[in-house]
Amino acid sequence: MKYVVLIHSNPQPWGHPTGDFVAEHQALPAEQRRQLNDAFETLLGELEANGELVGGQALGDPATARLYRWDDGAVVTDGPYSEAKEHLAGFFLIDVEDPARAEQVGRAFAGPGETVEVRPVMVHED
Amino acid sequence: MASSESPEHVWRREAPHVLGALARRYGDWGDCEDAVQEALLAAHDQWPGDGVPEHPRGWLVRVASRRLIDARRSQVARESREESYADHAGEVAEAPAERDDTLDVLLLCCHPVLTPASQVALTLRAVAGLTTAQVAAAFFVPEATMAQRISRAKKTLRDHGVGFGRVDPAELPDRLTAALRVLYLVLTEGHTASAGEDLVDGSLASEALRLTRDLHTRLPYDDEVTGLLALMLLTHARRPGRVDGAGDLVPLAEQDRSRWDAAAIVEGVGLVEQVLPRGRVGRYQLQAAIAAVHAEAATFEETDWVQVVALYRMLAEHFPDPTVTLNLAVAVAAAMGPEAGLAELAPLLDDPVLSGRHRVHAVRAHLLEESGALADARASYSTAARLATNVREQRYLNHRLAALDGQEAHG
Repeated sequence: MKYVVLIHSNPQPWGHPTGDFVAEHQALPAEQRRQLNDAFETLLGELEANGELVGGQALGDPATARLYRWDDGAVVTDGPYSEAKEHLAGFFLIDVEDPARAEQVGRAFAGPGETVEVRPVMVHED
Repeated sequence: MASSESPEHVWRREAPHVLGALARRYGDWGDCEDAVQEALLAAHDQWPGDGVPEHPRGWLVRVASRRLIDARRSQVARESREESYADHAGEVAEAPAERDDTLDVLLLCCHPVLTPASQVALTLRAVAGLTTAQVAAAFFVPEATMAQRISRAKKTLRDHGVGFGRVDPAELPDRLTAALRVLYLVLTEGHTASAGEDLVDGSLASEALRLTRDLHTRLPYDDEVTGLLALMLLTHARRPGRVDGAGDLVPLAEQDRSRWDAAAIVEGVGLVEQVLPRGRVGRYQLQAAIAAVHAEAATFEETDWVQVVALYRMLAEHFPDPTVTLNLAVAVAAAMGPEAGLAELAPLLDDPVLSGRHRVHAVRAHLLEESGALADARASYSTAARLATNVREQRYLNHRLAALDGQEAHG
């Protein structure tokens, strides 16, 4: 079962790994930050080794986005999609055995000041 | 060798035999499997242009042995043993087949220490002789991801000390059950999934049929193997009617039965009639028997629903499973009316796992619609469509929803 893991965050300045630039994450004791990062790295390594990681990318600053809207033709504007508290900062595509495993990934990728969204990917075959 | 066979048919048929020959000689099954994969790729490059060698198995064994020895030469830790491997390469190629290894390879790929997904991937590569790229294409993942999955599966086998060889007779029934489940998964996963342009017959479902037919020639007296082969044939026979010209799903009731494969139906029904009277009934025989009842009805209206219900009741009793309960509810509704079907379905709505999936709601919506409870049907269709993760099914459910709304508007 394929899921996309969407990392919503607003690092200041924009940077990756996002946790390093998120105030709530930076405010934690060093030991706890290390533990959170280790949990993430360990699971990411595991996903890759198991052949559960299909792909993923870190995204650039939303300020560098270009938006194409429709008004009797495409109208282009620069800048982020919304004034949201969090932006899409990166994504992973995983292919796992069951929903429980997807939940495990969501929990391990979560961090203070950020939201991780796990959503099933639509398939075309029956 | 039949001259009509394509080169790909030949190397894929030979793949498990080549693997068996190497594994018996050199041990370390995982390394041998990699070497065989490289030999298949070499055949892939050379045979279509140069023609199939006179002794394809010997050719593949020679190439695979060379690749294995090259790989081992580069492993410094094993340098001291390299000479003896090199000595054997010619010998293996010329040795007559000591026995048929296909079944042993299949049982190894279906070892219980592996997850079902790993069992399927490994079976397709080591038993079916597919390339990693073809297996990856069948599951819509990058080749690197699939390669990783396969090497992890082999590492798991190695870590558990599982090697190539004869399965302990005491373990055989359980291992065979696992192998049948893997073949069944290949069928269901690969119902329309294409395994790439260069696959002979384009679909994993056809591959599942080929492997099961092969297993049946080896174990003709195992009734469940026969049952699974019958189920595959009957499922395969109905494939042409499942999807319309626009790529939309067609429900069984509306399928054009003239498009079904009559020869496959005759063969499937024949196998069911052969094994059912023996009385050693298992899940695949029962599922095949149900498929046979559907296949033998000239029209949907002529389906013998009473018999279908009886068979599903047997399945539910011996092999309880939510999918069986769902199908039983559909059959009961067809035999005795939608309210009776809804009563069968009711317990599944309380199941925390199932109620989060679309199928229970989709079936319930259909039955509610049939019973005339249109507002409830609408709510169930809407829930089912939201939960569906399959584009085709979602489109179908939304289509039913729109049709209901149209009825309400005009009704």
